Amino acid sequence: MALTRRQFLKVAATSTVGAVAFVACSTPQDEFLIQSPVKMPEDLVAGADNWYASVCRQCPAGCGTIVRVMEGRAKKIEGNPLHPINRGKLCARGQAGLQALYHPDRLRGPRRRVGERGSGQFEEISWDEGLSLLLSRLKELQGKGQADTLLMVTDPVDGHLALLVKRFLRAFGGQHLVYEPMEPTTLTTSLQRTFGQDLIPHFDLENTQFLLSFGADFLETWLSPVAYGVGYGQFRQGNRRRGTLVVVSPRFSTTAASADEWIPIKPGTEGVLALSLAYVILSQGLASPQVAQAMTGGAGVGALESFRPEAASTITGIPARDITRLARDFAQQRPSLAIGGGPAAAQSNGLFNLSAVFALNFLVESVGQRGGVLNNPSPAIPDVGPASYNSLADWVGLEERLRTGQPRPVNLLLTRNANPVYGLPSQFASALSRVPYIVSFSSFMDETTAKADLILPGHVYLEEWGNSVPNPGPGFETIGWQQPVVNPVGDTRSFPDVLLALAQGLGGETERALPWSTFRDMLWEGAKSLHQRGSVRAADFESFWIGLLQRGGWWDTTARGGQQTTKAPVLPREPRLPSFSGEGDFHLILFPSISLGDGRGAHLPWLQGTPDPLTTVAWQTWVEMNAQSAQKMGLQEGDVLAVESPVGVVEALLYLHPAIPPGVVAMPMGQGHDAYGRYAQGRGANPLSLISLPKDSDNGSLAWAATRVRIRKTGQRVKLAKLEGFVTPTQLPGTEIVPEAQVTR
Amino acid sequence: MQERRDTSFPQINQDLLRGVIKTPIWFWLVLGALGMVVLGGAGAMGYLFYVGLGLTGLNWPVMWGAFITTFVFWVGISHAGVMLSAILRLTHAEWRRPATRAAEVLTVFSLATAALFPIIHVGRPWRALYWIFPYDFARGIWPNIRSPLIWDPAAIFTYLTGSSLFVYIALLPDLAAARDHTTGWRHTLYSVISLGFRGTARQWRLQVMGGILLSALILPVFVSVHSIVSWDFGMTMAVSGWHVTIFAPYFVIGAVHSGVAAVVTLLALMRWVFGWQDYIRREHFDALGRLMLVVSTAWLYFFFMEFLFALYSGESAEIALREMQVFTPPWSYFFITFLLTAYFIPVPLWLFRGVRRSVPLMFLTSLSVNIGMWLERFLIFVPGLARKQVFTFDWYTYRPSAVEITIIAASFAVVALGVLLFSKFFPLVPIYDVKEGEVFSTRIEVGRRKVPAVVREE
Amino acid sequence: MSEEYKWGMVVDVDRCTGCQACVVACQVENNAPLSSEESFQRRRPMQWIRIERYWEGEYPHIKARFLPLLCQQCGNAPCEPVCPVYATYHNREGLNVQIYPRCIGTRFCANNCPYNARFFNWVEHQWPPVMANYLNPHVTVRPRGIMEKCTFCIHRLHRAQRQAKGEGRVLRDGEVQPACVQTCPTNALVFGNLKDPNSRVSSMVQDERHYRLLEELGTEPSVVYLKKVVPGGRAS
Ligand SMILES: Nc1nc2c(c(=O)[nH]1)N[C@H]1C(S)=C(S)[C@@H](COP(=O)(O)OP(=O)(O)OC[C@H]3O[C@@H](n4cnc5c(=O)[nH]c(N)nc54)[C@H](O)[C@@H]3O)O[C@H]1N2
Ligand SMILES: Nc1nc2c(c(=O)[nH]1)N[C@H]1C(S)=C(S)[C@@H](COP(=O)(O)OP(=O)(O)OC[C@H]3O[C@@H](n4cnc5c(=O)[nH]c(N)nc54)[C@H](O)[C@@H]3O)O[C@H]1N2
Ligand code: SF4
Ligand code: SF4
Ligand code: SF4
Ligand code: SF4
Ligand code: SF4
Ligand SMILES: [Mo]
Repeated sequence: MALTRRQFLKVAATSTVGAVAFVACSTPQDEFLIQSPVKMPEDLVAGADNWYASVCRQCPAGCGTIVRVMEGRAKKIEGNPLHPINRGKLCARGQAGLQALYHPDRLRGPRRRVGERGSGQFEEISWDEGLSLLLSRLKELQGKGQADTLLMVTDPVDGHLALLVKRFLRAFGGQHLVYEPMEPTTLTTSLQRTFGQDLIPHFDLENTQFLLSFGADFLETWLSPVAYGVGYGQFRQGNRRRGTLVVVSPRFSTTAASADEWIPIKPGTEGVLALSLAYVILSQGLASPQVAQAMTGGAGVGALESFRPEAASTITGIPARDITRLARDFAQQRPSLAIGGGPAAAQSNGLFNLSAVFALNFLVESVGQRGGVLNNPSPAIPDVGPASYNSLADWVGLEERLRTGQPRPVNLLLTRNANPVYGLPSQFASALSRVPYIVSFSSFMDETTAKADLILPGHVYLEEWGNSVPNPGPGFETIGWQQPVVNPVGDTRSFPDVLLALAQGLGGETERALPWSTFRDMLWEGAKSLHQRGSVRAADFESFWIGLLQRGGWWDTTARGGQQTTKAPVLPREPRLPSFSGEGDFHLILFPSISLGDGRGAHLPWLQGTPDPLTTVAWQTWVEMNAQSAQKMGLQEGDVLAVESPVGVVEALLYLHPAIPPGVVAMPMGQGHDAYGRYAQGRGANPLSLISLPKDSDNGSLAWAATRVRIRKTGQRVKLAKLEGFVTPTQLPGTEIVPEAQVTR
Repeated sequence: MQERRDTSFPQINQDLLRGVIKTPIWFWLVLGALGMVVLGGAGAMGYLFYVGLGLTGLNWPVMWGAFITTFVFWVGISHAGVMLSAILRLTHAEWRRPATRAAEVLTVFSLATAALFPIIHVGRPWRALYWIFPYDFARGIWPNIRSPLIWDPAAIFTYLTGSSLFVYIALLPDLAAARDHTTGWRHTLYSVISLGFRGTARQWRLQVMGGILLSALILPVFVSVHSIVSWDFGMTMAVSGWHVTIFAPYFVIGAVHSGVAAVVTLLALMRWVFGWQDYIRREHFDALGRLMLVVSTAWLYFFFMEFLFALYSGESAEIALREMQVFTPPWSYFFITFLLTAYFIPVPLWLFRGVRRSVPLMFLTSLSVNIGMWLERFLIFVPGLARKQVFTFDWYTYRPSAVEITIIAASFAVVALGVLLFSKFFPLVPIYDVKEGEVFSTRIEVGRRKVPAVVREE
Repeated sequence: MSEEYKWGMVVDVDRCTGCQACVVACQVENNAPLSSEESFQRRRPMQWIRIERYWEGEYPHIKARFLPLLCQQCGNAPCEPVCPVYATYHNREGLNVQIYPRCIGTRFCANNCPYNARFFNWVEHQWPPVMANYLNPHVTVRPRGIMEKCTFCIHRLHRAQRQAKGEGRVLRDGEVQPACVQTCPTNALVFGNLKDPNSRVSSMVQDERHYRLLEELGTEPSVVYLKKVVPGGRAS
């Protein structure tokens, strides 16, 4: 049908778009022009959008994405509806990825340091120059037989990139350390001990009836928040009876806010509570006799005598009758599920706490059951697994090695998107400065990169190839496939491509270990073992590869985790109590910000401007303090408080929190950057600098919830940048803006 | 009864044209000072237009603030002039004669100043023409006559036109007098604008009839203007503190309250500045004082009614709003100040004849009323928005910024400057009216004194 | 009125966790200006959808309630009649739409929106040049001095409708979603056509938990909320 001009105008004018467009005809020049006509790649059609499936790398969860690209620019990231982890959904951080891609302070090309180290003076060089500088360093080490003095520090890397790094270092020599301030080593160790699995299991909260969380803030940052968010929605209002969530935590977290009941607990006593629950369950005969026998080593409930609710009550601060009630609910409303993490793990007795918590799942026979703990299968491609982590103990070892040069010094440090200088206590930063040559492959000028001698900036994730093996997985074999969605914005190169180029430049064994010229080739070859089964079916591999990219990954819902092999653990007979550092009046609980995470998101203004769900504060670092006790101390909102621990002082603004226990203060992580771009630099404080090293933790991980602090008023006052208004928001009597319903469904 | 000396017609001319003919040094000083303030305000306004409303203290959800307050304040002031002139003229109140001109002139300048504020206050003043002039009619898009913001300019411009005409007609005989007492370019100017007024019987009759007709016509407009201004708020269903049916009469009476007070202020100044003790006499202040006693008390009644209705509803949002007005600092301070200055200090004083007849005291109390009445509007508008509906999460507060305060201060200078410049070109007291009063007056003997008394022909 | 469409949204407060994903998604999709620290301090952030948090009770028996709030697309929208220039009006599909070029910035509509859903551009917003690359070409970048608010992602609706019309059919349920709905991890937000009796929203608005915000004002919101469920809590 030929559309006449009159008809066109009629159609267009009746639509809003039309109306806006018409009026826009008279838009003056100074008003914003969205799109400028730049050189268009040949395969792109102006005005049509393309969607590319890829993987979110804003946190290690590995959600699948689809990215809308118009005229060569990425416009929107959405969740990949096919991806089994996030099922079409994304969190706030995932949504904000575009700002990393189009960040004005991205490192746009190679640089070489010219001033003092850390002075921030660099000169721009070419890639050829940069690569040959690095290559000559590597060859020098090789020549001197010092290849083992190479150290590589990266963010958690998984999939083929982890394999590439491993092969490179195995062939060349050197050590790999993964930097992750929220290192889940306590969690993974306890899971390993309890369930006998290296991989994090699939917690099937979607199908559970009673969910008991000990500090695992699964609706915020814990492990795989979007996956849990999707599950939580179903748990609440799926087509079955509404599940009950109880959160036990020393702090009123956002997850606690969503709970049906929040039970404040003395920090570090979560394990005692868990064992007291076990005591009640066993003593009231709510567990099967076989399980009871197994878990008490045949001794019966008497073995848990020291966890009687009355005894546990004094330790945990929770009334004995609440413990009994909770235990009964947990045992009776099956399938029930107990998870633990966060502040329960970040204690000197973290391993004890988490092991006790996870053991509860055996007690109610949820292990291996729908609505309980389901094993994840080992990776679909052998050797291509999820990220591994190093604990703080490894970093302590490194610090000693750097300081003493024993057993071997570090002569060359390669770092990529890891920022230990920001996240670790200052002695690490000074130790790292002893390394004679530092090369950074990071995309941003973070604190660690600022110390580098050579910067060979990498792509951000939307520009590069990769794949991801999510951990926790969804209960079956899953690999997300990451493809570049736009051409590189600056003169950057993909880190794996650079490693491959280095391998070729080095020749010899390293080249033989990595016989690919690009990372894409490596992935291509790696994908071959997936062909012929799983979610992508195609006759020839070429089509399979396209299908793999179109779907953003591959999964095989039939390849599930094996049956539980480990027997129910024997519960400990004696409590292990936490020890804290510092003598202050307040127990300090840190928590990763829902938007900035541990600080990795601090460079993105969208995330800086995202209000904390509970305090609604944005852009700043605040101290949460019980409103009543703060007012008794004569404190007001916005007072700048000095928070003092044995190892440091930070200043932050007071938020009068009506829901935090009186003896506890809490601070979000993520701010306090000295570098990392205009939106992060010089803003807020980094509370990690208040945390001293663990003294007696079981596995040497960072006990970031085990510090006591003093609070001092500095006399200054700054206006809080928060969304909520002038009064403490409550529902006025007689009004219904957030009414409650009592529905049993 | 009039308390004054006898004055001959030439003496009246000489006295009342003094300001026009002579230009003393203080005139230049005051002119310069006011001019500076106005320039400062113009600068602030230019800055505001250039940078945008971010320079104000307005926020989400307090989107209207001091500008709108000041808009309503000046509209309120403008109510005195026509009310005094028209009502007093229609009722042949003899004491009106010296007061009318000043009151009318105040009306015109305060109204014109008020009309500036909505334009300053909008986000895109350069497109504000769109608002009242339907230049987009080619698309079939006319202004939205359902919006009180359309009724508002209509009412204001009608009132402005009417009151300007009113002033002009009353001015004609004096312009003629000025023409006859000046030479040179002034003579030419007055010749033109006096429209050939020669004082023939027919001209006088037309002039008087025109005045009376306009008086009758403008009274409904006068009542409607502030009613309509009140509907900018009263029609806002979402702001419970504004959504009140009593607003129209409440606003009108409040406007009269502040307006008459402003006239008193102005008369006291004129009396001092031009030495017009013989024309603006204690009896005038006495009469205005009595008028204000009635008006202010009526106003207080509405104020309490409005409050009572709100509390009577028992709605938690309404009660929270009143709580903010009465108990939350600094609003509570404003509240107390406003009640004291607008009513509880001046009104009891006016009960005393001695106070009403004391020019300095009347000057001070009239100023006090207007401080209070500005605060009254501020207290109606801002807390209503700051406590809008039951979404306590959104509740906020507001404080005007330096830019807003500068512009508002300048608006006072603009009005003062207008009246001052007017006084330079035209007599601020209607000469012919005073003379007319003289003609109508006879002398009666009171004891040993002969005093003028007035008879009116019917 | 349109025969085929009346758009509506259901917000299940029992699912919402306050995670802010919808908030960021909306900002990305709709070219929202960057809300600076100062904008929060001066209380002028731009969040077409925001999560309000209400406290209930006292420590330790305290609860936080999250309420996602966006333009309710009122059937009888109080923001509309007060606009002197018809910059905000009702379209045929029941949406309250905003025409930026016409708006002169009186802010009267915002005063008359009971839900505080309207946001004013107090300042001219700027993006560093590189960042402007992500701006959505289907959504106008608003200059200073004008009002804006949630549009139900009308540009998505129009594109999808045009597509469907070309194929000679009406939109299928779930075929088009606003950005906030699309990303909400817990599926607390559901969007659809209220004129379609078989759509998810049509059945959800019948849920026994349904309520509308400030229903007594007669604004006839197109956003329907489902109550938070409290086991053993007080019934309402
Ligand atoms: N913001 C905003 N957007 C609008 C509009 C608006 O008013 N405001 N208006 C809309 C309307 S009504 C229209 S028609 C479109 C117009 O949008 P476009 O179709 O983009 O029209 P132009 O930009 O005028 O011209 C298109 C290109 O054609 C090239 N050209 C000129 N002559 C020839 C020729 O002989 N052969 C070839 N091959 N190329 C030629 C020009 O150099 C130019 O690069 O924009 C629409 N978009
Ligand atoms: N100098 C110059 N001239 C040009 C062009 C150029 O680039 N430069 N471009 C040419 C092109 S490509 C085009 S398409 C034409 C466009 O030229 P026109 O067709 O004149 O387009 P407009 O003037 O934008 O809008 C058309 C009419 O629609 C009305 N209208 C808008 N919205 C509504 C509504 O909601 N209801 C009703 N009833 N009416 C409405 C407007 O008032 C106007 O009368 O201009 C052409 N002329
Ligand atoms: S959970 Fe992690 S991977 Fe998933 S969307 Fe959020 S940031 Fe991305
Ligand atoms: S995305 Fe969904 S769950 Fe998260 S805050 Fe928004 S509505 Fe609530
Ligand atoms: S919610 Fe507010 S902005 Fe939206 S239609 Fe209703 S009144 Fe208008
Ligand atoms: S701010 Fe704009 S949309 Fe709102 S009433 Fe004024 S002109 Fe209309
Ligand atoms: S519907 Fe669209 S415009 Fe409205 S809040 Fe959601 S994302 Fe924003
Ligand atoms: Mo066109």
